[in-house]
Amino acid sequence: MEMVEKLTLITPDILLFVGAVVVAVLGLSGSRTIRQAVPLITGLFLIGSVVVTQFVYADPAALESSGLLFPKIGGYVKSLTGVVGLGLVALGTGTVDRAYERAVASGSAAFDPLRVVRGEYHAFLLLSLAGVMLVCNATDLIWLFLALELSVLPTYVMVALSRNNRRANESAIKYFFLGAMSTALFLYGFAMLYGATGSLNFIEIRDVLATQAAGEAGIAPFAVVGMGLALLGIFFKISAVPMHVYAPDVYEGASNPMTGFLSIVPKIAGFVAIIVLCGTFGWAGREQITAAGTTMVQEGLPAPISAMLWMVAVLTMTLGNIGALLQKSIKRLVAYSGITHSGYMLIGIVAGTENGTDALLFYLAAYSLGNLALFGVLAGLTRMGQDIESFDDLAGLWRTRPRMATMMALAAGSFVGMPPLIGFWGKLMVFIAGVESGHVVLVCVAAVNSAISSWYYLHLAGVPVVRMSTPRSESVTNGPRMAPRLVAVICGVGLLVVPVFTTPLYEFARTSMRYGELEEPAARSVASPTTPGRELDQG
Amino acid sequence: MLSPTLATLMTSAGESIPGGVTPIPEAAREESLAWAGLILLFPAVSAIICGLCAACRVRNRLPGWTTVIALASSFVVVCLLYGQHQAGQPTVIHLFDWINFSWGDGTFESVRANFALYVDDLSIFWMLFVTGLGTCIAFYATEYMDDDRGKGYSRFFAAMSIFLLAMCSLVLGDNLVMLYLGWEGVGLASYLLISYYYTRQSAIDAGKKAFIMNRIGDLGLAVGIWLIWYNFGTLEYDGLFQALNVYLPIADAGNLPGTEIGQPQLGWSAYLIPWFLMVGAFGKSAQFPLMTWLPDAMEGPTPVSALIHAATMVTAGIYLIARTYPIFWLEMEAGGYALATVGWIGGFTALLAATIALKQYDMKRVLAYSTLSQLGYMFMGLGVVQTFGACFHVYTHAFFKALLFLCSGTIMHGLAGQLDVRRISGLRMAKGWKVVTWCMFVGGLWLAAFPFTAGFFSKDEILAQAFVQKGPGYRALGWIGIVTAGLTAYYTFRVWFRVFGGRTLRIEPGPEHHGDPSSFHPHPPGWRMKSILILLTIGCFAAISTGYWGIGHWIKGMVDHSSAAWGMPLHWEEGDIPFFGGDPHWTMYFVSGTFGLIGLAFAAYFHLINRRSAERLDELFKRNFITNLIPRTLERKWYLDEVYNALVRIPTYLSAKFFYLFDRLVIDGLLVGGIARIPMFLGRVFQPLQGGALQGYATTMAGGVTLVVVWMIWVFLQKGGG
Repeated sequence: MEMVEKLTLITPDILLFVGAVVVAVLGLSGSRTIRQAVPLITGLFLIGSVVVTQFVYADPAALESSGLLFPKIGGYVKSLTGVVGLGLVALGTGTVDRAYERAVASGSAAFDPLRVVRGEYHAFLLLSLAGVMLVCNATDLIWLFLALELSVLPTYVMVALSRNNRRANESAIKYFFLGAMSTALFLYGFAMLYGATGSLNFIEIRDVLATQAAGEAGIAPFAVVGMGLALLGIFFKISAVPMHVYAPDVYEGASNPMTGFLSIVPKIAGFVAIIVLCGTFGWAGREQITAAGTTMVQEGLPAPISAMLWMVAVLTMTLGNIGALLQKSIKRLVAYSGITHSGYMLIGIVAGTENGTDALLFYLAAYSLGNLALFGVLAGLTRMGQDIESFDDLAGLWRTRPRMATMMALAAGSFVGMPPLIGFWGKLMVFIAGVESGHVVLVCVAAVNSAISSWYYLHLAGVPVVRMSTPRSESVTNGPRMAPRLVAVICGVGLLVVPVFTTPLYEFARTSMRYGELEEPAARSVASPTTPGRELDQG
Repeated sequence: MLSPTLATLMTSAGESIPGGVTPIPEAAREESLAWAGLILLFPAVSAIICGLCAACRVRNRLPGWTTVIALASSFVVVCLLYGQHQAGQPTVIHLFDWINFSWGDGTFESVRANFALYVDDLSIFWMLFVTGLGTCIAFYATEYMDDDRGKGYSRFFAAMSIFLLAMCSLVLGDNLVMLYLGWEGVGLASYLLISYYYTRQSAIDAGKKAFIMNRIGDLGLAVGIWLIWYNFGTLEYDGLFQALNVYLPIADAGNLPGTEIGQPQLGWSAYLIPWFLMVGAFGKSAQFPLMTWLPDAMEGPTPVSALIHAATMVTAGIYLIARTYPIFWLEMEAGGYALATVGWIGGFTALLAATIALKQYDMKRVLAYSTLSQLGYMFMGLGVVQTFGACFHVYTHAFFKALLFLCSGTIMHGLAGQLDVRRISGLRMAKGWKVVTWCMFVGGLWLAAFPFTAGFFSKDEILAQAFVQKGPGYRALGWIGIVTAGLTAYYTFRVWFRVFGGRTLRIEPGPEHHGDPSSFHPHPPGWRMKSILILLTIGCFAAISTGYWGIGHWIKGMVDHSSAAWGMPLHWEEGDIPFFGGDPHWTMYFVSGTFGLIGLAFAAYFHLINRRSAERLDELFKRNFITNLIPRTLERKWYLDEVYNALVRIPTYLSAKFFYLFDRLVIDGLLVGGIARIPMFLGRVFQPLQGGALQGYATTMAGGVTLVVVWMIWVFLQKGGG
């Protein structure tokens, strides 16, 4: 019975697996029409999984017996992943050139992965997204490890396949080896954690840690170091210091749609994993019901973990900013900007409160939306069949493609945190959570960094408007397909419009972190409309 | 001897708290009056509709009529509110939460500025003429702006709606933040309207000048508001007045609050508040030295001038000081000179502007300087503790100045932009100009404070108090006022006699007339303009009734039932100075009346009866270099613009150049260039790691991990695992 219900919650993930298989097979089809339908089918599977997510997470029985630390977090994260995935699929189709495809089929042109539809690319994309979704359902360390690996392993291949270019291969190799190293690190941490607590299950680990904290000796040093190493390993996924060094090189080597993928998807997986891991310590002030049935107030992160996260957050946002300041290449800039944003998002974890994680989840959505808009522009334009990479390519874009330049400016404005764009609200909530939990210095550092970052973001917004176009930038044309530009417009407008729905979105994030902790178990099993877990689905 | 103001005060004040100070009553909270929010809603909706009209390029009169109807509805609601209002009982009407931060319950523990209305006698009084005159002027503008339909018509009325909306927020707001919101909104709207003809360089310059000068004042107001929160812990009038209720009796008893043990403390910065508020008021109400924007503001369409000069903008400064008068009073009791400064700046501006008006040839410019001069009177009234006189003068001035401006607007409209008094003569004889002639005559009489007109009574209240109130040189201030009254009568009727008087009709068409000048015929105003002129003339006459005792001095009652008079002690040391052998409030009528009549007689002689003699006098002055300086200086406005240019603009320009070079050489060259070298330097140090080689990255990561784990263990050893 329990197994069935556990499987219920991962229905969306299973759907993506099925999709991956279907797409991989169809991608090998001899018929070009079927091959060309692959992105569409991928999109349908993604839509299906988002829809299924809404129903699955409305089922209290499934949530009740899930055995998860945060049963409902998947409702939010899977919806976000699915929607982001749709955008990313659209980005991926942007570089596909039908005429070139025909030429490849007839053998008159060399194969270029950037310009033809590839079934395996979409299969890997779905697998990676399934991995992200599975992270939400991790009940124990092994599951978490496997899910995280599933979310990253396909991306190594995707980077290598993303374009016909030595640099892509180089960055894939780098990405793979450094990723393997980080995996080793967090696996090592997991092992120590298991050694210190004697359990793999998160709920059991949580109870053991709580017992240890309440005891005389405090939390075992082994557990703290193990958690630290595990977090450091996962920092690779969110490209936080000191595991960030790969990001600029890898982003630069991959094609634009793939860079967009790298800048969003691993971050979602990484942050959810961090939330789950840190959740074993509990959030300060949160009431929980122990396995024994008693209520206790959680203490929050232990000092060493908190101090480590604090230091990493400060270094991440600062080094990311310094790196971004003098970049000429947009993709390296985006890499550093992603590093900086990870630093801001880490504030939500450092805060160690429920408000912090709520704000973090909200920020993830805001960040994804901004990145989609930005990469929609980058993937929607092309220069002589190649990706556009440097600022010089964008000079004078405003005069030829005002809409794309506007979307670029909106994305940059959202990254800076300019009201009323969504990025502002994300930052505001994260900063509020930081201040609330007493990390004023950290928030001040973040605010100063945010001000510094406006230098390069304004550059990003300003170059298309202010600079005169050059012969180089005049050779920039629209990409072969309009899907990425459509994504850019939708997401760019979304940056403006979604803030109107800040409260519902934030409530979505909030309730997804709350289920099953606030009310009595008896009240939970009754599917009454007043149960917090139900409110969301009806609203 | 007690002034009548005080006598009324003593009888009207119900109870007094120990120490002999009228307490400021606590505001009642009336949720049922929420419909009063419509006063702000109507102009807001109208602004949106006009904005949509502008966006859709509507070519009909819809925006104009929308504005008129919206403002008229606001006026009706104000009247209804007046009917509901209980004299002497301030009411706070909460509309919705706006700014509401609190980290505690009491003062100093919250920043609260909700969207609420503070309705007391003073704000209702102000709203009555703001919305009333605003409606009239909007109605007038529907005809005046007709030629611009399809071009700027919608834009004009949208800005006008914003103007009135901002003014309503300024006056009715329940807190200083709403006042500031309105304050800035008024500044914005005036900028939009003054530079309405945005293709004309002079209009653009005038708009910028008005905006920048106002910004200087706004800074003062902002600092003042901040100091109020810092000292009294609240931004809401009600809370502020209740706090002042504590301090005022102590100050009145001769002690500074906080000097004795057990008394509430008040920091020294509390005594700076009036000085900052004053700067704000001087900026918005165009007093010396922030005055030069107002005469230039006539670059906008004439209804805008009428709106700015009469009802909406320049009275804001008076309102601000009248509203926060207890703070000024507190400062005065503490031995400060804020009120005296207000009075003297007012008197000085009054005289300065009147002298400039003597030698201006542009009709609207004369009126603009007369506004400065009259505003000077109002500030003088505030300074000599005659808030009733000041507010009364605001009221009468609003009517006659709106009338005068609208009359000059019809002339400008009908004479193709001609406003030069030297080029128009005998206009009363032109066909269809009767109404304008006599309406302007009435306006002139009122402005010149001709005996038994409304302006006469309101001005004398102020002048007489200058001789009663003890203060630094207030007697001299009073005489300045009296001399200015004479000058006012002269320059006002110089215009009227020149333009409407004369034996023959002689008009040179203005710059907007294209074609043969001999074929030019002035086209008289239409029914909408005329009806408003007549309505305002009736209003001027109605304003007189308030000047006679016994007929019910409702304005006096209203002002005295507000913070403009509350909080004052019931009696204070007052000079018992007979003025020409009697009570100044009585004898002043004769003295100032005489001076006014003398000015009028001079104007009649030089500009009506014997115009040649004026020219001869001019030549007499011009013969000698020294004497020639006098008319030249007046004509050039005392070279104020040139002085400001030398004192402010040139240093600003030079320092801008200097900072530009500093920025280029030091900041960009040294700092930025230098800082930019740091990452490069670091990069070179870590080059083996960052060279793109996989091993380098792995080493960096491993090293970083090691450092972080060491840091974690160190923290663990310091603080333990808890």
